[in-house]
Amino acid sequence: MKASLLRWAAWAPGIELPDAWRSWAAAPAPLPATGAPDAKFLPAMLRRRCTPLTRTMLSAAFGCAEPDELARLRTVFASRHGSINESIGLLLNVVRREKLSPATFSHTVHNAQAGLFSIAAGNRAASSSLAGQEDTWTAAFLEALVFLERDPREPVLVVVGDVPLADTFAPLVDEAAVPYAFAAQVGAAGTGPGVSLELGAADPARARAPWPPALEFLRWWLSDEESLEQPNRASTARWLRA
Amino acid sequence: MSRAPCRLAALGQVSALGRVRAEVHARLAAGDATHLSLDAEIVPERSLWLGRVNEALPAIPAPLARFACRNNRLALAALESIGAEVAAAVARFGPARVGVVLGTSTSGVGDAEAAIAHRERTGVLAHEFFYDQLEFGGLARFVAEAIGARGPAYTLSTACSSGARALASARSLVAMGACDAVVSGAADSLCGLTTNGFAGLGALSAGVTNPCSANRDGLTLGEAAALFLVTGEPGGIQLLGVGDSSEAHHMSAPDPEGRGAETAMRDALADAGLAPDDVAYLNLHGTGTPQNDVMEAAAVARVLGSDVPTSSTKPLVGHTLGAAGALEAAFCWLVLAERRGGELVLPPHVWDGARDPALAPIRLVEKGESARSGGRAVVMTNSFGFGGNNCTLVLGASDSP
Repeated sequence: MKASLLRWAAWAPGIELPDAWRSWAAAPAPLPATGAPDAKFLPAMLRRRCTPLTRTMLSAAFGCAEPDELARLRTVFASRHGSINESIGLLLNVVRREKLSPATFSHTVHNAQAGLFSIAAGNRAASSSLAGQEDTWTAAFLEALVFLERDPREPVLVVVGDVPLADTFAPLVDEAAVPYAFAAQVGAAGTGPGVSLELGAADPARARAPWPPALEFLRWWLSDEESLEQPNRASTARWLRA
Repeated sequence: MSRAPCRLAALGQVSALGRVRAEVHARLAAGDATHLSLDAEIVPERSLWLGRVNEALPAIPAPLARFACRNNRLALAALESIGAEVAAAVARFGPARVGVVLGTSTSGVGDAEAAIAHRERTGVLAHEFFYDQLEFGGLARFVAEAIGARGPAYTLSTACSSGARALASARSLVAMGACDAVVSGAADSLCGLTTNGFAGLGALSAGVTNPCSANRDGLTLGEAAALFLVTGEPGGIQLLGVGDSSEAHHMSAPDPEGRGAETAMRDALADAGLAPDDVAYLNLHGTGTPQNDVMEAAAVARVLGSDVPTSSTKPLVGHTLGAAGALEAAFCWLVLAERRGGELVLPPHVWDGARDPALAPIRLVEKGESARSGGRAVVMTNSFGFGGNNCTLVLGASDSP
């Protein structure tokens, strides 16, 4: 499956601009475990309603497109955990038979980041929000290809991100738990630097990178390595420059 | 340019109307709203009508115990009805060529309530609690493992349009060659989080939802699962068109003019290469909230005019949130599958009959009404989600196979 990677942006604490990411990719090290962007590009009214995850994902999204593109491109928002940290508070309300805050409830749906992006960017195009466990980055890329299959004329803005799970659930998940977001404009094959994805048989012996899969993909994209193989739950994602 | 075929080759579903195909179709055709149940427990100091699935659900198989939750049991109930067709597809195409794309707004959060309650009492989560039970991506992974598929497996969650969107993605995954078959649809389960959340928003009806009525006062919630086997074969019942849009308006209220809804419907028709006159029936999103119905009626009247028969099936099963788009596509599928001699028996619009003069004129299906279709029957279903995510599907079948 071939596509083009036209532009990217990423956010992690202290690593915000493309040059900082290039330096990180040249000598990758584990990422900071805490921090959130201030997201000053958002109007104050809207920013107040944004969770740390929303600010993180929208920072990458807004860094990855010009204003007219932000208002026009179709979007895929992908997050393994989404708003689960905020949901824990609501679950406590439910268990204690307390009233739920309507504002909190409406901002903890899994597509909250997509909804707030649509409002902030004035974007009325098609949008998808997904979760795919450890395979979330692969799934996000596939979902971008879904939109390109339907209409290849415009690229798709893909945004993947997470923040560390709160203590309630963190012990249940073995992962590189860092706040981060990665955004990419994925276009049809032949419209820019080419990238291809093939899914092969799972390889349980293959180790995971000590940072999120989307950032391992970025590290590879900025390297001169020919290919990258990433372990998924039931497959191996093989990325190639096409 | 016409699209590659996309066959909705088999359907399994479960809702308050049941899971046996003939029974569900009969109840749908009769507008049988007697399967809702009254609940005095789930929201403090309130009684609620709910579209709960009351029948026994299959147990999660022991090797998949880490996925055990009501949401996955609903999915499994739907999956059982198409077990043979799905197994045949996995055998024919190979496990790596079969994908799973499903929608949900809840995943296993209902069971997480029990784990959190246990933690409140004892300081630790119930030790049989796994993150696979709770996380959104767990639904697709559970179904993939249950059927032995190793292709792409992910879960879409765009609130009430999740199930419709999953079918749209399944169609493209097959069309682009990423998969030869996809198990696609949705599952959503009643839980304290969503019922109390919608109660907090003031969005729930005091009685039973009454869509398009002057007296409508909100939602009735429900739960369901609807799973299709999606292939690239021609014939049978086809997913002909998809249209989708975002609102850029508000997190929990639609654009009052229905512009996003209009875009989704127009684009779905254009994608299918069909005209408004081709549509024999529209299953409305029809939630029964004051805001949804006024904007949807306006959008429907602009796109389809005032003669196309429409109904909301939410008074029969409740608003099943993340499953609604797939369940209502399933109802459309049943309408097509059960057609006889070019006659479609349509689900009636069950309400108090009090026309709201503020609603644009749309035609609501009466009890016992049917539609004639020519050689080709085309039906449409709308799903509009929280966060401003809209998706319309067009399904069709030809009388000459």
